[in-house]
Amino acid sequence: MSQLFLIAQIAGRAVAIESGQVESVVDIGTIVPVPGADRQIHGLAALRSRVVTVIDTRVALGLDHARTPATRAVITQYEGHHYAILVDALEDVAPFDQVPLSSGIVLDLGWRAAGCGIIERDGEPVLVIDLRALIPGGAALAA
Amino acid sequence: MDDLLQEFIAETRETLEALSGEIVAWESAPQDRERLDAIFRFVHTVKGSCGFLDLPRLARLSHAAEDVLAAVRDGKRTPDTALVNAVLAIVDRIGEIVEAIDVGASLPDSGEDLLIAALDEHADNDSDGAAAAAPQAQTAALRNASRSVRLNVDLLDRMMSGMSDMVLARNELARRLRDDDADPSVEAALERLSLTVAEMRETVTRTRMQKIDALFSALPRMVRDTAAEVGKSVTLHIEGSDVELDREMIEMMRDPLVHIVRNAIDHGIEAPAERRILGKRENGRLAISARQSGNQIIIEITDDGRGIDTERLIRKIAAQGARSEAELRLLSDKAKLDLVFEAGVSTKDEVTAISGRGVGMDVVRANVEQIGGRIELFSTLGKGLCIAIHVPLTLSIISTIGVGVEGQRFALPRQAIEEIVRVGGDAIRIDMLGDTPAASVRDRRMPLVDLGQVLGFVRDPLAAPMLAIVSVSGGSYALAVDNVLDTEELVIKPAAPAVMAAGVYAGQTLPDSGLPMLLLDCAGIAAAAGLQFAREAIVDDVVAEEVFDSGSALLFDDLDGTRRLVALEIIDRIELVPTDAIRFSAGRLRLSTDAGIVPLVAMGAWQDRADVAILRLRDGESEIGYAISEALDIFALPNELVPAAEPGPVAGVVALDGEQVELLDLHWLFANHGGDQLSTAPPVCLIDGADQAWMMTFLKPVLEGAGYRVAAKLKKNESAAVVLTMDATPSSAAAEAPVIRLRREANASANDLSIYRYDRPGLLAALAHSAGGR
Repeated sequence: MSQLFLIAQIAGRAVAIESGQVESVVDIGTIVPVPGADRQIHGLAALRSRVVTVIDTRVALGLDHARTPATRAVITQYEGHHYAILVDALEDVAPFDQVPLSSGIVLDLGWRAAGCGIIERDGEPVLVIDLRALIPGGAALAA
Repeated sequence: MDDLLQEFIAETRETLEALSGEIVAWESAPQDRERLDAIFRFVHTVKGSCGFLDLPRLARLSHAAEDVLAAVRDGKRTPDTALVNAVLAIVDRIGEIVEAIDVGASLPDSGEDLLIAALDEHADNDSDGAAAAAPQAQTAALRNASRSVRLNVDLLDRMMSGMSDMVLARNELARRLRDDDADPSVEAALERLSLTVAEMRETVTRTRMQKIDALFSALPRMVRDTAAEVGKSVTLHIEGSDVELDREMIEMMRDPLVHIVRNAIDHGIEAPAERRILGKRENGRLAISARQSGNQIIIEITDDGRGIDTERLIRKIAAQGARSEAELRLLSDKAKLDLVFEAGVSTKDEVTAISGRGVGMDVVRANVEQIGGRIELFSTLGKGLCIAIHVPLTLSIISTIGVGVEGQRFALPRQAIEEIVRVGGDAIRIDMLGDTPAASVRDRRMPLVDLGQVLGFVRDPLAAPMLAIVSVSGGSYALAVDNVLDTEELVIKPAAPAVMAAGVYAGQTLPDSGLPMLLLDCAGIAAAAGLQFAREAIVDDVVAEEVFDSGSALLFDDLDGTRRLVALEIIDRIELVPTDAIRFSAGRLRLSTDAGIVPLVAMGAWQDRADVAILRLRDGESEIGYAISEALDIFALPNELVPAAEPGPVAGVVALDGEQVELLDLHWLFANHGGDQLSTAPPVCLIDGADQAWMMTFLKPVLEGAGYRVAAKLKKNESAAVVLTMDATPSSAAAEAPVIRLRREANASANDLSIYRYDRPGLLAALAHSAGGR
């Protein structure tokens, strides 16, 4: 069965995000840092009247900080709190069929926790990621 | 006509609600003219409205009450209990009739004559009136829905966030207009918009938030009624009524609070006679307070009643059979207290009408936990119980002070801040003690915490320009910040767990600037900076001197699991002895040592251990052993001692690092367990000569009541403190003790110093005299 996926660029890679996890896609304004919190918490941002916690996706995936921080974000809700997952760019929204990761492929760094499958776009495989795995404390529920 | 009636009902209902507090206040201070006037106005208004609405019954009742109150106002009658009760009964009745009219139910008018009659000056008592009022109680259930609607909380939340959006849009608009030099008429329009928006925001916020007064206002009347029902008298103190809480929480708190208050009055506070005997004021004291602390609201209910008897609790639970008594006794003191939360437990043996109707503390705890709160008990047996309910601040409006550090703004809860000072001069300075910065504010010295450092910036604490003096439980500290901005009322919401995990934040908020801001948690900052407030006392010279005076003490874990202190000076040594050196022999515990046998005191079970640590205590002459579980540390003995409720092995309680620690009563220990028993044994009253049988039968209780041990014959080495005889001359055996002679005749002959045998005061006086003359 086909599901709707959002195709985005994170850390130079194309990833697919299941649309059910996405509340909206926004441009993030000023980010207020949260000193003392985990490195992957980039800060807080106001989204209209809501305060969202901004996740530095690169750090969450175990990579370095981006030199030029991303300003687009995917908003997702987890346990009553809103999180903005920073993405480099958004490419597409389309229905795809999700298939499990081919056996033998072992992802590294934070990708391992987040990756939960593959979709095929124009013959090119794209990793499906679970946004919950990027949220500190939100243990990956991915299979 | 219908509209008028509805308005009358709504108005009466509202006034009645507002009035219930006044009535109770009037009862306790009947001379208070203001309260009297308020009640008078109420019945007067009701009477007036009834006239043109054609409600004869209400008119009759209110008229009668008005007459009496008018007489009181004129000083013709004094407001005694009977009168107050009669007026209350009428006010209640008015309320019932109004509700009945509202739902269109009929209400029998029987008893109204009695109610009115009870107002009469010559009514013998209020029982008629009270009895008449009773059958109407069930009509309360018919109460019509008041003028309110139920709303989904989600809807309110959406309204709130819409409101915030509006504020932000207004701010944006204002900024644009300022930049463009708009024409004054546009600015005036914007000004008007701003005012409306601010007002709206206030209103919308109030839809969610409510003063906790809504919860507290009903308490005075409830406490009065409950106390009257069980024949006790209770003074209620309420504090912090203006703390604001989520409306949802207030509703959830209502039942637990009512239950706890009723429990406190019924079970906790003793009857007046019992309180007199215990040396307490006859009026029980019940204090209810609400305050905000960190990211919680704490509601405390404190009574000065009998506290929780954990022993009885353990027996009751053991009797239920689920757990053995021994198992329960092993629990920590706190866990023992928490046993009251077990299902189906009541500390009172009999069930009364007020509480103990199956709704136990377990339900209270379940209710509190349902809203994410927790409940804590602090009980002192015989002194009272304090129940603290911690409710999370899911959403609340807090008055905050904005502070800046490293270019970022944070909010500090204003309640926690004692004062804000600028560093400079001699009065306020920062010094390094070793590598630790400390602030001196006038004559106070306190630890300095640099907010920037706590948040992970590299800074020089000595350069801090501003200090916020923050008080947390245990002490105060100075929080160094770069600048202090303004005060603001902010809606605080919980932050994401990952943010809270930093440990220094209490929540997040979106102020008018449109930039998110974090609310700092003052206690969390103290913890993150590693502050320990017990140390502060030692830094302080004055305190240190006093500490020196009272000497050092050994902190140890006693056999019963309690932590206790004993003065260090008296400890000869501490040694580990095998358990078989301890025997219960010749009526008491004794310890075999190399040098002989010493009396041993053990406050808990020692039999199961292989060996026991013994404190060998020595007062210079005699020696006793005191079995303990483990010696812990040596402390300076705190100066402040809260004495124990009754004499015993424990002299009282001292605070050590914020913990309550019992201090052993050496005097009691040596008096009761020391070698020389004679000096502490009660003095002996020797009954001598003929008529011993009569004196034994008739006088023994009297003498024992006076503190003597009565003996017909002295033991070896025992000497009589006083000799009582009915013979003309005492026998030689007791020649050295003073002699009191009794006679049979009521009238004495001249020069006869004897006392008539039924002259009890005379006898006691003679005993006291001879004891003094000894």
